[in-house]
Amino acid sequence: MFNDQDCLRILEQAMSTTADFAEVFQEVKEQKSVSLLNGQVIKASTGFDSGTGIRLLAGTNSVYVYSSDNDLEVLLKLAKEAAAAIKGNDKGQIEALKDLCRTTKSTIAIDPMNVPKKDMVDFLKQSSDFALNYSPLITQVASSIASSKRTTKVINTKGVNAEESTNRIRLSVETIATKDNEKQSGRVAPGTMRGYEFINEYPLIDKTRECCDTAIRMVNAGYAPSAKMPVILGNAFGGVIFHEACGHALESTSVGIKNSYFTDMLGEQIASSIVSARDNARIDGEWGSYATDDEGNTSSDLLLIENGILKNYLVDELGARRMNTKPTGCSRRQNYSYAPTSRMSNTYICNGESDPKDIIANTEYGLYATQMGGGSVDTSTGDFNFAVNEGFMVRNGKIAEPVRGATLIGKGQEILKNIDMVGNDLELSAGMCGSVSGSVPVTVGQPTIRVSSILVGGREA
Amino acid sequence: MDIKTAEKFMEKLVKAGMEYGFEECEACFALDSSMSIDILNGEVSSYENSATSALSFRGLKNGQMGYCSTNILNDDSIGFLLKSAMENCEVLNDEDPQFIYCDENNKELYYSQLSEAYSKNTYNAFAELGLKLEKAILALDSRIDAVDYLTISCGTGPFLIINSKGLHSYRDNDGMSIMAAARATDSDGSVKSGGHYWIGTDIDEFDMDKFLAKFQENLLGKMGAKSVKSGNYKAVLTPEAFNQFFSVFFGNFFATPMQRGLSLLADKEGTKIASEVLTVKEIPMYEDARTKIPFDDEGVLTTEKAIIDKGVFATALYDLKSAYKAGRKSTGNGFRGGAGVSECPTNLIVEPGNKSFNELLEEVGDGIILTDLSGLHAGVNSISGDFSLLCEGYLIENGKKGRPVEQITVAGNFYEVIKEIISVGNDIINLPAGDGEFFTPSVYVGTLAISGDDSSN
Repeated sequence: MFNDQDCLRILEQAMSTTADFAEVFQEVKEQKSVSLLNGQVIKASTGFDSGTGIRLLAGTNSVYVYSSDNDLEVLLKLAKEAAAAIKGNDKGQIEALKDLCRTTKSTIAIDPMNVPKKDMVDFLKQSSDFALNYSPLITQVASSIASSKRTTKVINTKGVNAEESTNRIRLSVETIATKDNEKQSGRVAPGTMRGYEFINEYPLIDKTRECCDTAIRMVNAGYAPSAKMPVILGNAFGGVIFHEACGHALESTSVGIKNSYFTDMLGEQIASSIVSARDNARIDGEWGSYATDDEGNTSSDLLLIENGILKNYLVDELGARRMNTKPTGCSRRQNYSYAPTSRMSNTYICNGESDPKDIIANTEYGLYATQMGGGSVDTSTGDFNFAVNEGFMVRNGKIAEPVRGATLIGKGQEILKNIDMVGNDLELSAGMCGSVSGSVPVTVGQPTIRVSSILVGGREA
Repeated sequence: MDIKTAEKFMEKLVKAGMEYGFEECEACFALDSSMSIDILNGEVSSYENSATSALSFRGLKNGQMGYCSTNILNDDSIGFLLKSAMENCEVLNDEDPQFIYCDENNKELYYSQLSEAYSKNTYNAFAELGLKLEKAILALDSRIDAVDYLTISCGTGPFLIINSKGLHSYRDNDGMSIMAAARATDSDGSVKSGGHYWIGTDIDEFDMDKFLAKFQENLLGKMGAKSVKSGNYKAVLTPEAFNQFFSVFFGNFFATPMQRGLSLLADKEGTKIASEVLTVKEIPMYEDARTKIPFDDEGVLTTEKAIIDKGVFATALYDLKSAYKAGRKSTGNGFRGGAGVSECPTNLIVEPGNKSFNELLEEVGDGIILTDLSGLHAGVNSISGDFSLLCEGYLIENGKKGRPVEQITVAGNFYEVIKEIISVGNDIINLPAGDGEFFTPSVYVGTLAISGDDSSN
């Protein structure tokens, strides 16, 4: 990484015309991974990447230049080009650099980067050995461990001098059940900012068995029906619905340009009064956490919705300028090749009052989605969709037959108001979220909830 | 970092790799430069400029191929790359052999297609065009509230491979794209969004009037959209929808997933898998494609071939590894991606039929047009072929395009859909896919299950 004096030279070059703000973002990332298929190690890789991004702002006008070339002269030349492209009115000031502030939200006992790949392979083999002997229906087992170490440093013209380091590790096990021409899978993919001790403590065989059971149930299941009906969304990854249908529409990326159905609605009722939700980047060791964001601001535990009332948006520096407010410490990017923008971290619906068993018992007919796939949303219209990986019909208050192939669709602004029961079994679940600043690790989460009506798109009338 | 400097480093690295104890080894280097501008509210809101590079090394030891990558090219990196790749070889136990390759008659492969027009891609040229385009979009209709997204970008990508068998292969390409999306308010206060895109190699070939006409149709055509009753509908997929749909399942045509039991097309080569009106070709040097690909990333020459020939699955795509396992030759489809080489198509073309889009609608009579499919990363089971996707479109009434439709899902199975294609249109579009582009027309599919709101008329 460049020393502070070199960074200041880059900032001076960037501020030589009409920018009112400039920032140097440096990143160094190491990663390693192993992948197994049916017990064979088919992939083992190691990678190193580093680079620098320089951002200039003049009001809401922005210029971003980046390079993987760590030569100071190359960066100074890029900063000069950037300065020529920025469209401001006056020359801005550079404030004195503060003392370096080093932060992390990783809690590491055993550094995964020091664990031999062979140990990772031996661990994963237990999963494939178990699954392939579990049932003749299980025909493939794919598993992997990927770990990374990322160090970022932000220096800007407001005097920010922040360094953040994060270690992340993610395990993935996917089992596939085959019956005639049908193949269905069960998957777990926990991620953490804890160390390799997380892997050592992970109940791998129990979780592999659950994956096998899901795959076997789904390969034997009939198709989901097509109709509007009450839908019970299971806890943990069920929170992807809130992430897609609400979270993205609260980011200043869309609110700042009024391209969100939640624009100008602070203080208004946007959800059912039993719904509260947070975006909390400050949970130690959690997959979506960080102590300092990619703009060098301290992260936050943000109350998004309280009893249905919209309390806060997720705002980055550029969004704050557009919305005439302050950043909330939620600016993130996949890596130096993206300008940062407002993103979610660990985003979840808070615990409610209902026992999950009562939610099922109180549902005469509907769909119980126990495992969700991914989804997406158009924040201007509210149209969302997401896939159900494992579902069951609910009849007369009881869990009935398993069903496959369901997709849930609707309008984000409507679904939040239709949440009529919230459970007390909140859990978080790791995922990756894609948006304009690339793919970043997030967790989604919720207790078991019920939505009074969602269109289930299945294949049976 | 320039290509010449990288080339010297790679030669040194490959030599050091052989001395380190690899049986064969290879280095590849990719250099990506790009420039883009965003337009928002009558201004250039953002400008980006970049140059990034990455070097990947792979080495063969005891039949196992270990990989390692970095962006730092110095003597310390040589040690890091060789040591890490060797460590990776030691944990691998892949049963299938892998290869570092060089065709004795084609050791020096060179193909440059950087266009002279690329030099026209300047900040000023993009800003002028972008601002003019934003203004023109807003002038299309008073119901359009804002252009939320308008980006013009360009990039070049030189790519060099050197290996211990003597392969010295260089390829590059350039291109530019324009993407825009806007929102408009419907008479009931609901918001609709829509947009359009253009890809090419010469900014002067951008036809703004043509772009605006399609943009208008994609956005304002949605006004008044509502759901439909659930049921089985005869359906026309627009070229864009068919392109997205087919792309999601195209991985099933690769040999490696077939050999791993992860594609239902295993052992189906030579058999009928689709309607006889469907022919899909791979033409690496396709004249209308902006990127032409004469050889793959393993140094194998690419060839023109049918993948589906009148409904018959003519050949899968093979790289060196999967071809060896199948006892045949590579089809020149081994491309780098992530940490490894795997099968990937170059330029794919669904052979067009004779009918225009409107003639397809006449053939259908009553049914539905599907224009946009959402949730393709989630709502499909890429192995079984099952899908259930959020979509939009229009009704087809008496052989004509009817009212717009939204908030519906379409569900079915890929392998059934390709058997039920009744007609193929002559209206071809192209989108980036794999290492090249995918050219598709619209298609008429016998029946598709639509879920909607049963209270709709």
